[in-house]
Amino acid sequence: MTTGNRSSLGRLFHGETAVDFYGRRRRGFTVSLVLLVLSVVSLFARGLDLGLDFEGGVAWQVPATASMDADIARDVLRENGLDPANAKIQKLSNASEETIRVQVADQPADVVDAVQKSLAEAASVSSEDVSVTSVSSSWGRAITEKAIRALVIFLVLVTIYISWRFEWRMAVAAIAAMAHDVVISVGVYSVLQFEVTPATVVAFLTILGYSLYDTIVVFDKVQDNVKSFSGTRMPIADIVNVSTNQVLMRSINTSVSSLLPVLSLLILGSGVFGAVTLREFAIALLVGMLTGAYSSLIVATPLVALLKQRETKYASLVGPHSTGDTLRAMVVSGLPTGVRATRRAEATDGGPSSGGSDSATAVLTHPPRPRKKRRR
Amino acid sequence: MTRRLLGSLIGVVAVVLLAVVGNLSAGNEIALGLDLQGGVSVTQEPVGEYNSESLDVAVERIRERVDALGVSEPEIIRQGDAVVVNLPGVDNQDEAIRLVQVTGAVLLRPVVSASPISPGAGVPETEAPATGSAPETTAAPGPSRSIPGATTPDTAPEATSETLATDSASPSDAEPVDSVADTADDSVPPTGSDLPPASEFADVAAQPISSDPNDPTASVIVQNIDGTEIYQLGPAFATGEVFNSDATADIIQGGWGVRVTLKRGSGGEDLWNIGASQCFSGTGSCPTRRMAIVLDGVVQSAPTVNQPSFSGGVDITGNFKESEAKDLARVLKSGALPVRLEVQAVQTVSPTLGEDSLRATLVAGLIGIALVLLFMILYYRTLAIVVVGGLVVSGGILWNVITFLSASSGLALSLAGAAGIIVSVGITIDSYVVFFEKLKDEVKAGRTLRNSAERGFKSTWRTIVAADTVSLLAAFTLWYLTVGSVRGFAFFLGLATLTDLVVAWFFTRPAMMLLARSGRVGRRGAFGIKVAPGGAS
Repeated sequence: MTTGNRSSLGRLFHGETAVDFYGRRRRGFTVSLVLLVLSVVSLFARGLDLGLDFEGGVAWQVPATASMDADIARDVLRENGLDPANAKIQKLSNASEETIRVQVADQPADVVDAVQKSLAEAASVSSEDVSVTSVSSSWGRAITEKAIRALVIFLVLVTIYISWRFEWRMAVAAIAAMAHDVVISVGVYSVLQFEVTPATVVAFLTILGYSLYDTIVVFDKVQDNVKSFSGTRMPIADIVNVSTNQVLMRSINTSVSSLLPVLSLLILGSGVFGAVTLREFAIALLVGMLTGAYSSLIVATPLVALLKQRETKYASLVGPHSTGDTLRAMVVSGLPTGVRATRRAEATDGGPSSGGSDSATAVLTHPPRPRKKRRR
Repeated sequence: MTRRLLGSLIGVVAVVLLAVVGNLSAGNEIALGLDLQGGVSVTQEPVGEYNSESLDVAVERIRERVDALGVSEPEIIRQGDAVVVNLPGVDNQDEAIRLVQVTGAVLLRPVVSASPISPGAGVPETEAPATGSAPETTAAPGPSRSIPGATTPDTAPEATSETLATDSASPSDAEPVDSVADTADDSVPPTGSDLPPASEFADVAAQPISSDPNDPTASVIVQNIDGTEIYQLGPAFATGEVFNSDATADIIQGGWGVRVTLKRGSGGEDLWNIGASQCFSGTGSCPTRRMAIVLDGVVQSAPTVNQPSFSGGVDITGNFKESEAKDLARVLKSGALPVRLEVQAVQTVSPTLGEDSLRATLVAGLIGIALVLLFMILYYRTLAIVVVGGLVVSGGILWNVITFLSASSGLALSLAGAAGIIVSVGITIDSYVVFFEKLKDEVKAGRTLRNSAERGFKSTWRTIVAADTVSLLAAFTLWYLTVGSVRGFAFFLGLATLTDLVVAWFFTRPAMMLLARSGRVGRRGAFGIKVAPGGAS
């Protein structure tokens, strides 16, 4: 939106932007729709690479010593009566060591032990250095079911809360934006075929929280402005545009501050120090936070405007909305401009309340008088 | 007003400092989760039929076993029905699995010989034969249970030994109590099929003594529950499954005892009576006439058998305290329908991996926070003091709560939890950003700084509460309904969100308002806020 030159950055800094979010909603919706379709298609076509914890199975992790590599690991599997073709063998490396990870489907305990010992022998390390992870498939299913149930209950609770704290239209828009974020994040996992681990689920749930959090901060502003413009005949599109521009700086700042730790986890934690557990977590969070910030401004807020336009109060006000400097003036002052109020009154001339709106606006156009500093 | 703000500010800092001092002087440390320390995690879930007592008893047994092993800071977590046992520092997976495989099953074994352990009770035990007609007792004071301070019932001698009798007071041929007959379950499958037939009990002396106290087919040497007596026990003749799961602690013959009914048929009453008659007769397999009720290699009670055959139910009496009788009843209930825990997931984390991960998380997290602070300072200039102060205070609160919970209830900080805290820094920072942006708006609208701070906080507080409520809802739902790392994450997310609210109200609010009042930072330029649009940015 900002072209990066000094003056628009300055405007952003001083909260004087006048981006017509509502007017450009179709562009935003199209981008979102394309991403959503891509995600859904990928989910159906490629599916998700569900990790050990969801599908069940056994994984051994053995230090990659001189006598240990993926081929030897395959031989070990074959010796123990397992088909290496069904195994997933990865080489993981971090700053201090390299390990080979061998993953197969659910196995009985004696097979698990035997493979552990054989792998240790092959790598000439003690069997304690071979770490084993095993999850029965029924347990994996149970975990997934629990997570889904938790999600559904959470959504119901959040919908109730937002409807009570704001209104149902905002609840609908917030949930839609959140679904948008989660589907796109899951889509990224499907497209890139990242493994879905419990940490990923944690990350998706965090995204969901962040997305709602972001959206609620914006809606709070919209609600504020709906109240303060209630005496005027402002179309909802203007109110939404003013609100979005007013919280724009906050959204950007918050996103930057939230992204910095995540980027640090991603680049330093998993990149430099090689904590693999963190990598997938951080990627999911990164994608989710970006879409979360995007959707709260581009998806959720115009959606609220569209929904609220059906209210009787705003239905009569649908028409051209302010852009450019008129919008900027309203963003800065937080008040409808005189020009605007007049024009609106003319546009709806013949309506019974045109005169009333003028007087209401007149009352509100006074900026608050700066108070003198009181001496104590 | 100023005084109250100052009080709040000083108060919150003082509380945090005091708590830090308290935690440090108590030597509390943050316990590191398995993934940070290395070790074995075993998740088990009950399969088939079981009652809640048997799951409770099994979990208690696991806890005692783990404690006996001396694992430092083990975590035993009940998550719904699942039992997660985290054993930091344990690197032998097989050992860990063996350790946690507990069933809550009860074995009934004849007592071959018994001798007291406690140095005070040096009198060798002389078990007098008990007759069915009158509850008999031991003449010698060597107690099978040393119960200090227990009140002696009317029939004083009886109190020294536990006895088994049919439910009804009449000695033998007792009519089954009505409730017993009604509740008897014919469909119960015969139990103890893996036990040797009763005829094999004959020569106890020849039985090899097994080192596995839970081997039902071998003789074993085990202690009783309070460690006062040691027994040599013969092979089990039955399991606790001969009983119905209706054991209750009750006043029987003037003292606390346990009353339990027998299942009908070959798997219950018949099996029990084979053992009981052998013990009653005091022949080879059961010279002491006592029968031991054994749970996981510990004798819970070793009563003398008072009659050759039982019908319907069994009374266990003796010098029980109320709590002991209740414990025994629970054990019997558990044994009646023991839980079968099946290992669902095993994870071995090598400590080196954990160490690396920990360092990586810590360093990455600290650098991340440093970057955020740098960004705040560049953007908000002087106001960043409040951000730094707020982060220090919330860091202090988090550290205190986590160390306290680590020491008191075995909370362990996992990798997911650590990541959750670092992520929640974002939420905390957001509170400040929302506040400062609001402040800028107010100042721009021409209000004084002092006024702006008050009005700004008011509306910001509403926003923070609304947004944090959603985070708390998420944290609570996840914590309550999920398992494993998601749960750990949810806990720390919830904790960090609550901390955010506390810090916003008790630290940020007074700090900002006092800053706004003091003349020194009152100049607008110091806040990175410039009213004139032409000002350099």
